[in-house]
Amino acid sequence: MTLATDLRQADFAAALLDPERPCPANLVAWNGSDPSARFAVYRNNVVFSLIEALADTFPVARRVVGTESFCSMAAAFVRGHPPHSCVLAQYGEAFPDFVADFVTHFAPAGELPYLADLCRIEMARVRAYHAADLDPVAPDAVNAALACGEDIADITLSLHPSLSVVESDYAVASLWAADQTDADADAMSWDRPESALILRDGLDVLVRPVNLGSARFVQAVQQGLSFGSAAAVAAHGRPAFDLSATLTMLVRHSALTAIHPPFREPS
Amino acid sequence: MQATVTKLPATVLALALGAAFTSLPAAAQPADKEKCYGVALKGKNDCAAGPGTTCAGTSKADHQGNAWSYVAKGSCEKTASKTSPTGFGKLESFKEKKA
Repeated sequence: MTLATDLRQADFAAALLDPERPCPANLVAWNGSDPSARFAVYRNNVVFSLIEALADTFPVARRVVGTESFCSMAAAFVRGHPPHSCVLAQYGEAFPDFVADFVTHFAPAGELPYLADLCRIEMARVRAYHAADLDPVAPDAVNAALACGEDIADITLSLHPSLSVVESDYAVASLWAADQTDADADAMSWDRPESALILRDGLDVLVRPVNLGSARFVQAVQQGLSFGSAAAVAAHGRPAFDLSATLTMLVRHSALTAIHPPFREPS
Repeated sequence: MQATVTKLPATVLALALGAAFTSLPAAAQPADKEKCYGVALKGKNDCAAGPGTTCAGTSKADHQGNAWSYVAKGSCEKTASKTSPTGFGKLESFKEKKA
Protein backbone atom coordinates (compact mmCIF):
# COMPACT_ATOMS: atom_id res chain seq x y z
CA MET A 1 0.00 0.00 0.00
CA THR A 2 1.21 3.49 -0.77
CA LEU A 3 1.76 6.14 1.85
CA ALA A 4 -1.08 8.16 0.32
CA THR A 5 -3.49 5.25 0.79
CA ASP A 6 -2.33 4.76 4.38
CA LEU A 7 -2.90 8.42 5.12
CA ARG A 8 -6.35 8.39 3.55
CA GLN A 9 -7.32 5.31 5.57
CA ALA A 10 -6.03 6.83 8.81
CA ASP A 11 -7.95 10.02 8.04
CA PHE A 12 -11.12 8.04 7.25
CA ALA A 13 -10.83 5.93 10.43
CA ALA A 14 -10.19 8.97 12.63
CA ALA A 15 -13.20 10.79 11.16
CA LEU A 16 -15.40 7.73 11.84
CA LEU A 17 -14.74 7.97 15.57
CA ASP A 18 -14.68 11.74 15.97
CA PRO A 19 -17.83 13.66 15.02
CA GLU A 20 -15.89 16.93 15.30
CA ARG A 21 -13.80 16.00 12.27
CA PRO A 22 -14.98 16.91 8.78
CA CYS A 23 -16.07 14.32 6.24
CA PRO A 24 -12.87 12.85 4.72
CA ALA A 25 -11.75 14.50 1.49
CA ASN A 26 -12.20 12.84 -1.92
CA LEU A 27 -15.34 10.85 -1.02
CA VAL A 28 -17.80 10.64 -3.91
CA ALA A 29 -21.49 9.65 -3.82
CA TRP A 30 -22.84 7.64 -6.77
CA ASN A 31 -25.32 10.35 -7.76
CA GLY A 32 -23.00 13.27 -7.18
CA SER A 33 -24.76 14.41 -3.99
CA ASP A 34 -22.90 15.74 -0.93
CA PRO A 35 -21.16 12.73 0.69
CA SER A 36 -21.00 14.30 4.15
CA ALA A 37 -24.61 13.39 5.06
CA ARG A 38 -24.00 9.80 3.99
CA PHE A 39 -20.73 9.67 5.90
CA ALA A 40 -22.54 10.97 9.00
CA VAL A 41 -25.03 8.08 8.78
CA TYR A 42 -22.19 5.58 8.48
CA ARG A 43 -20.30 7.19 11.36
CA ASN A 44 -23.38 6.97 13.52
CA ASN A 45 -23.94 3.30 12.65
CA VAL A 46 -20.34 2.36 13.45
CA VAL A 47 -20.43 3.85 16.93
CA PHE A 48 -23.98 2.76 17.63
CA SER A 49 -23.33 -0.87 16.67
CA LEU A 50 -20.29 -0.97 18.97
CA ILE A 51 -22.30 0.53 21.85
CA GLU A 52 -24.95 -2.14 21.22
CA ALA A 53 -22.26 -4.84 21.31
CA LEU A 54 -21.09 -3.55 24.71
CA ALA A 55 -24.67 -3.39 25.97
CA ASP A 56 -25.10 -7.05 24.96
CA THR A 57 -21.90 -8.06 26.77
CA PHE A 58 -22.52 -5.97 29.94
CA PRO A 59 -26.30 -6.24 30.52
CA VAL A 60 -26.07 -6.14 34.32
CA ALA A 61 -23.84 -3.04 34.31
CA ARG A 62 -26.31 -1.42 31.92
CA ARG A 63 -29.23 -2.09 34.26
CA VAL A 64 -27.26 -0.89 37.29
CA VAL A 65 -26.36 2.52 35.82
CA GLY A 66 -29.35 2.89 33.50
CA THR A 67 -29.35 2.71 29.71
CA GLU A 68 -28.67 6.40 29.15
CA SER A 69 -25.61 6.57 31.43
CA PHE A 70 -24.35 3.27 30.09
CA CYS A 71 -24.58 4.47 26.49
CA SER A 72 -22.67 7.69 27.14
CA MET A 73 -19.98 5.75 29.00
CA ALA A 74 -19.87 3.15 26.19
CA ALA A 75 -19.67 5.85 23.50
CA ALA A 76 -16.66 7.39 25.24
CA PHE A 77 -15.06 3.94 25.39
CA VAL A 78 -15.80 3.12 21.74
CA ARG A 79 -14.19 6.36 20.53
CA GLY A 80 -11.04 5.75 22.58
CA HIS A 81 -10.85 1.97 22.13
CA PRO A 82 -12.11 0.88 18.72
CA PRO A 83 -12.07 -2.91 18.25
CA HIS A 84 -8.88 -4.60 17.04
CA SER A 85 -10.70 -7.73 15.92
CA CYS A 86 -13.78 -8.34 13.77
CA VAL A 87 -15.12 -10.67 16.47
CA LEU A 88 -17.56 -8.36 18.23
CA ALA A 89 -18.37 -11.00 20.84
CA GLN A 90 -14.88 -10.43 22.28
CA TYR A 91 -15.06 -6.65 22.12
CA GLY A 92 -14.80 -4.90 25.48
CA GLU A 93 -11.79 -6.58 27.17
CA ALA A 94 -10.55 -3.10 28.15
CA PHE A 95 -13.99 -1.86 29.19
CA PRO A 96 -13.78 -2.83 32.92
CA ASP A 97 -10.54 -0.84 33.39
CA PHE A 98 -12.08 2.06 31.49
CA VAL A 99 -15.14 1.90 33.78
CA ALA A 100 -12.94 1.90 36.88
CA ASP A 101 -11.29 5.10 35.68
CA PHE A 102 -14.56 6.62 34.48
CA VAL A 103 -16.31 6.00 37.81
CA THR A 104 -13.43 7.60 39.71
CA HIS A 105 -13.57 10.75 37.60
CA PHE A 106 -17.22 11.22 36.73
CA ALA A 107 -19.47 9.43 39.21
CA PRO A 108 -20.47 11.27 42.38
CA ALA A 109 -17.88 10.44 45.06
CA GLY A 110 -18.20 6.94 46.46
CA GLU A 111 -21.01 5.87 44.14
CA LEU A 112 -20.83 2.57 42.25
CA PRO A 113 -17.31 1.58 43.38
CA TYR A 114 -18.20 -2.02 42.42
CA LEU A 115 -19.17 -1.28 38.81
CA ALA A 116 -15.78 -2.13 37.25
CA ASP A 117 -15.61 -5.51 39.02
CA LEU A 118 -19.16 -6.25 37.95
CA CYS A 119 -18.01 -5.60 34.36
CA ARG A 120 -15.05 -7.95 34.95
CA ILE A 121 -17.50 -10.73 35.81
CA GLU A 122 -19.56 -10.03 32.70
CA MET A 123 -16.48 -10.03 30.43
CA ALA A 124 -15.26 -13.26 32.06
CA ARG A 125 -18.65 -14.81 31.29
CA VAL A 126 -18.25 -14.02 27.59
CA ARG A 127 -14.71 -15.44 27.60
CA ALA A 128 -15.96 -18.56 29.40
CA TYR A 129 -18.79 -18.99 26.89
CA HIS A 130 -16.36 -18.96 23.96
CA ALA A 131 -13.54 -20.93 25.65
CA ALA A 132 -12.44 -24.29 24.24
CA ASP A 133 -14.03 -27.54 25.39
CA LEU A 134 -11.93 -29.86 27.53
CA ASP A 135 -12.94 -33.13 29.15
CA PRO A 136 -12.64 -33.58 32.93
CA VAL A 137 -9.69 -35.52 34.35
CA ALA A 138 -9.77 -39.32 33.93
CA PRO A 139 -10.33 -41.46 37.08
CA ASP A 140 -6.98 -43.25 36.47
CA ALA A 141 -5.06 -40.01 36.94
CA VAL A 142 -6.91 -39.30 40.18
CA ASN A 143 -6.16 -42.77 41.53
CA ALA A 144 -2.50 -42.45 40.55
CA ALA A 145 -2.28 -39.11 42.38
CA LEU A 146 -3.92 -40.53 45.50
CA ALA A 147 -1.49 -43.47 45.45
CA CYS A 148 1.70 -41.42 45.29
CA GLY A 149 2.03 -40.77 49.01
CA GLU A 150 4.19 -37.82 50.09
CA ASP A 151 4.70 -36.88 46.43
CA ILE A 152 1.09 -35.72 46.18
CA ALA A 153 2.27 -32.22 47.13
CA ASP A 154 4.31 -32.10 43.93
CA ILE A 155 1.61 -32.98 41.42
CA THR A 156 0.27 -30.14 39.29
CA LEU A 157 -3.35 -29.63 38.28
CA SER A 158 -4.84 -28.27 35.06
CA LEU A 159 -8.08 -26.33 35.17
CA HIS A 160 -10.69 -25.77 32.47
CA PRO A 161 -9.80 -22.98 29.99
CA SER A 162 -13.13 -21.26 30.69
CA LEU A 163 -12.31 -20.75 34.38
CA SER A 164 -11.37 -17.30 35.63
CA VAL A 165 -11.26 -15.45 38.93
CA VAL A 166 -12.51 -11.98 39.84
CA GLU A 167 -11.30 -10.72 43.22
CA SER A 168 -13.25 -7.78 44.56
CA ASP A 169 -13.53 -5.55 47.61
CA TYR A 170 -17.29 -5.68 47.03
CA ALA A 171 -19.89 -8.45 46.86
CA VAL A 172 -20.03 -8.39 43.06
CA ALA A 173 -20.86 -12.08 42.55
CA SER A 174 -23.89 -11.65 44.82
CA LEU A 175 -24.85 -8.44 43.02
CA TRP A 176 -24.62 -10.23 39.70
CA ALA A 177 -26.73 -13.12 41.03
CA ALA A 178 -29.33 -10.73 42.46
CA ASP A 179 -29.76 -9.18 39.02
CA GLN A 180 -30.49 -12.60 37.51
CA THR A 181 -33.35 -13.27 39.89
CA ASP A 182 -34.94 -9.80 40.02
CA ALA A 183 -34.03 -9.71 43.71
CA ASP A 184 -33.74 -6.22 45.11
CA ALA A 185 -30.06 -5.47 44.52
CA ASP A 186 -30.44 -2.02 46.11
CA ALA A 187 -31.29 -3.63 49.43
CA MET A 188 -28.18 -5.82 49.29
CA SER A 189 -25.16 -5.18 51.44
CA TRP A 190 -22.50 -5.09 48.74
CA ASP A 191 -19.89 -3.37 50.87
CA ARG A 192 -17.95 -6.50 51.79
CA PRO A 193 -15.13 -8.32 49.97
CA GLU A 194 -16.12 -11.25 47.81
CA SER A 195 -14.45 -13.15 45.01
CA ALA A 196 -16.06 -14.92 42.09
CA LEU A 197 -15.22 -17.95 39.99
CA ILE A 198 -16.56 -17.79 36.46
CA LEU A 199 -16.58 -21.00 34.44
CA ARG A 200 -18.51 -22.96 31.87
CA ASP A 201 -19.91 -26.33 32.90
CA GLY A 202 -21.16 -28.07 29.75
CA LEU A 203 -23.13 -25.30 28.06
CA ASP A 204 -23.87 -23.20 31.13
CA VAL A 205 -21.70 -20.27 32.20
CA LEU A 206 -21.68 -20.08 35.99
CA VAL A 207 -20.76 -17.34 38.46
CA ARG A 208 -19.94 -18.67 41.92
CA PRO A 209 -19.17 -16.49 44.94
CA VAL A 210 -16.13 -17.86 46.80
CA ASN A 211 -13.91 -16.73 49.64
CA LEU A 212 -10.49 -15.26 48.97
CA GLY A 213 -8.70 -18.52 49.81
CA SER A 214 -10.49 -20.43 47.05
CA ALA A 215 -9.81 -17.62 44.59
CA ARG A 216 -6.10 -17.61 45.47
CA PHE A 217 -5.94 -21.42 45.18
CA VAL A 218 -7.36 -21.30 41.64
CA GLN A 219 -5.00 -18.49 40.65
CA ALA A 220 -1.98 -20.34 42.08
CA VAL A 221 -2.91 -23.51 40.18
CA GLN A 222 -3.40 -21.50 37.00
CA GLN A 223 0.09 -20.02 37.48
CA GLY A 224 1.48 -23.55 37.48
CA LEU A 225 2.25 -23.93 41.19
CA SER A 226 2.24 -27.48 42.49
CA PHE A 227 -0.82 -28.78 44.33
CA GLY A 228 0.95 -28.53 47.70
CA SER A 229 2.26 -25.02 47.09
CA ALA A 230 -1.08 -23.74 45.77
CA ALA A 231 -2.89 -25.13 48.82
CA ALA A 232 -0.29 -23.63 51.16
CA VAL A 233 -0.51 -20.19 49.51
CA ALA A 234 -4.31 -20.25 49.70
CA ALA A 235 -4.38 -21.37 53.34
CA HIS A 236 -1.67 -18.97 54.51
CA GLY A 237 -3.26 -16.59 57.03
CA ARG A 238 -6.74 -17.71 55.97
CA PRO A 239 -8.06 -20.32 58.40
CA ALA A 240 -11.45 -20.19 56.63
CA PHE A 241 -9.93 -21.66 53.46
CA ASP A 242 -11.50 -25.06 52.81
CA LEU A 243 -9.35 -27.04 50.35
CA SER A 244 -11.77 -29.94 50.24
CA ALA A 245 -14.80 -27.76 49.45
CA THR A 246 -12.84 -25.84 46.81
CA LEU A 247 -11.74 -29.03 45.04
CA THR A 248 -15.25 -30.47 45.33
CA MET A 249 -16.72 -27.43 43.59
CA LEU A 250 -14.11 -27.61 40.81
CA VAL A 251 -14.65 -31.34 40.27
CA ARG A 252 -18.44 -31.05 40.37
CA HIS A 253 -18.33 -28.51 37.54
CA SER A 254 -15.87 -30.58 35.48
CA ALA A 255 -13.27 -27.83 35.90
CA LEU A 256 -10.39 -30.11 36.93
CA THR A 257 -9.14 -31.34 33.55
CA ALA A 258 -5.77 -33.01 34.22
CA ILE A 259 -3.43 -34.14 36.99
CA HIS A 260 0.26 -34.22 36.14
CA PRO A 261 2.63 -36.48 38.12
CA PRO A 262 5.59 -34.92 39.97
CA PHE A 263 8.41 -34.02 37.60
CA ARG A 264 11.13 -35.56 39.74
CA GLU A 265 11.83 -39.31 39.50
CA PRO A 266 10.34 -41.40 42.34
CA SER A 267 13.11 -42.33 44.81
CA MET B 1 5.70 -16.71 47.17
CA GLN B 2 6.48 -15.94 50.80
CA ALA B 3 9.13 -18.15 52.38
CA THR B 4 7.06 -18.35 55.56
CA VAL B 5 4.22 -20.30 53.96
CA THR B 6 3.63 -23.53 55.84
CA LYS B 7 3.24 -26.71 53.80
CA LEU B 8 0.10 -28.74 54.31
CA PRO B 9 0.67 -32.42 55.23
CA ALA B 10 0.35 -34.89 52.33
CA THR B 11 -2.51 -36.64 54.11
CA VAL B 12 -4.54 -33.42 54.15
CA LEU B 13 -3.95 -32.96 50.42
CA ALA B 14 -4.85 -36.57 49.62
CA LEU B 15 -8.00 -36.49 51.75
CA ALA B 16 -9.20 -33.28 50.12
CA LEU B 17 -8.57 -34.57 46.61
CA GLY B 18 -10.15 -37.93 47.38
CA ALA B 19 -13.21 -36.34 48.97
CA ALA B 20 -13.75 -34.11 45.94
CA PHE B 21 -14.11 -37.15 43.72
CA THR B 22 -16.11 -39.38 46.05
CA SER B 23 -18.77 -36.64 46.27
CA LEU B 24 -19.12 -36.65 42.48
CA PRO B 25 -22.47 -37.91 41.13
CA ALA B 26 -21.91 -41.21 39.28
CA ALA B 27 -22.97 -40.13 35.78
CA ALA B 28 -21.38 -36.77 35.16
CA GLN B 29 -21.05 -37.22 31.41
CA PRO B 30 -20.50 -34.04 29.38
CA ALA B 31 -23.62 -33.28 27.36
CA ASP B 32 -23.51 -34.02 23.62
CA LYS B 33 -23.94 -31.01 21.40
CA GLU B 34 -25.34 -30.33 17.96
CA LYS B 35 -25.08 -27.37 15.63
CA CYS B 36 -28.41 -25.60 15.61
CA TYR B 37 -29.32 -23.09 12.90
CA GLY B 38 -31.67 -20.17 13.31
CA VAL B 39 -31.65 -19.84 17.10
CA ALA B 40 -28.71 -17.48 17.72
CA LEU B 41 -29.49 -13.90 18.67
CA LYS B 42 -27.87 -11.29 16.46
CA GLY B 43 -24.14 -10.96 17.01
CA LYS B 44 -24.09 -14.07 19.20
CA ASN B 45 -23.73 -16.80 16.58
CA ASP B 46 -20.94 -19.28 17.25
CA CYS B 47 -19.41 -19.24 13.77
CA ALA B 48 -19.48 -18.01 10.18
CA ALA B 49 -22.78 -16.68 8.91
CA GLY B 50 -22.33 -17.03 5.16
CA PRO B 51 -20.81 -14.99 2.35
CA GLY B 52 -19.36 -11.65 3.37
CA THR B 53 -19.04 -12.58 7.02
CA THR B 54 -16.10 -14.58 8.27
CA CYS B 55 -16.29 -14.67 12.01
CA ALA B 56 -18.38 -15.29 15.06
CA GLY B 57 -20.66 -12.55 16.30
CA THR B 58 -21.53 -11.10 12.89
CA SER B 59 -25.09 -12.27 12.25
CA LYS B 60 -27.25 -9.25 11.51
CA ALA B 61 -30.63 -10.31 12.86
CA ASP B 62 -32.05 -12.42 15.63
CA HIS B 63 -32.57 -16.06 14.56
CA GLN B 64 -30.69 -15.71 11.25
CA GLY B 65 -31.21 -18.92 9.25
CA ASN B 66 -27.59 -19.49 8.25
CA ALA B 67 -26.08 -18.69 11.66
CA TRP B 68 -25.71 -21.49 14.16
CA SER B 69 -25.09 -22.06 17.84
CA TYR B 70 -24.03 -25.12 19.76
CA VAL B 71 -26.92 -26.44 21.82
CA ALA B 72 -27.46 -29.58 23.89
CA LYS B 73 -28.11 -32.60 21.65
CA GLY B 74 -31.80 -33.13 20.96
CA SER B 75 -32.80 -29.64 22.04
CA CYS B 76 -32.30 -27.83 18.72
CA GLU B 77 -35.58 -28.77 17.08
CA LYS B 78 -37.38 -27.84 20.29
CA THR B 79 -35.91 -24.32 20.44
CA ALA B 80 -38.26 -21.65 19.11
CA SER B 81 -37.04 -19.72 16.04
CA LYS B 82 -39.36 -17.07 14.70
CA THR B 83 -37.71 -17.13 11.27
CA SER B 84 -37.78 -20.90 10.73
CA PRO B 85 -40.38 -22.50 8.43
CA THR B 86 -41.06 -25.08 11.16
CA GLY B 87 -41.11 -22.51 13.95
CA PHE B 88 -38.12 -24.21 15.60
CA GLY B 89 -34.35 -24.42 15.15
CA LYS B 90 -33.10 -26.74 12.41
CA LEU B 91 -30.02 -28.95 12.08
CA GLU B 92 -29.28 -27.46 8.62
CA SER B 93 -29.22 -23.87 7.46
CA PHE B 94 -32.47 -22.58 5.98
CA LYS B 95 -33.95 -19.58 4.21
CA GLU B 96 -35.68 -17.37 6.76
CA LYS B 97 -39.37 -16.65 6.48
CA LYS B 98 -40.40 -13.15 7.50
CA ALA B 99 -40.87 -13.05 11.23
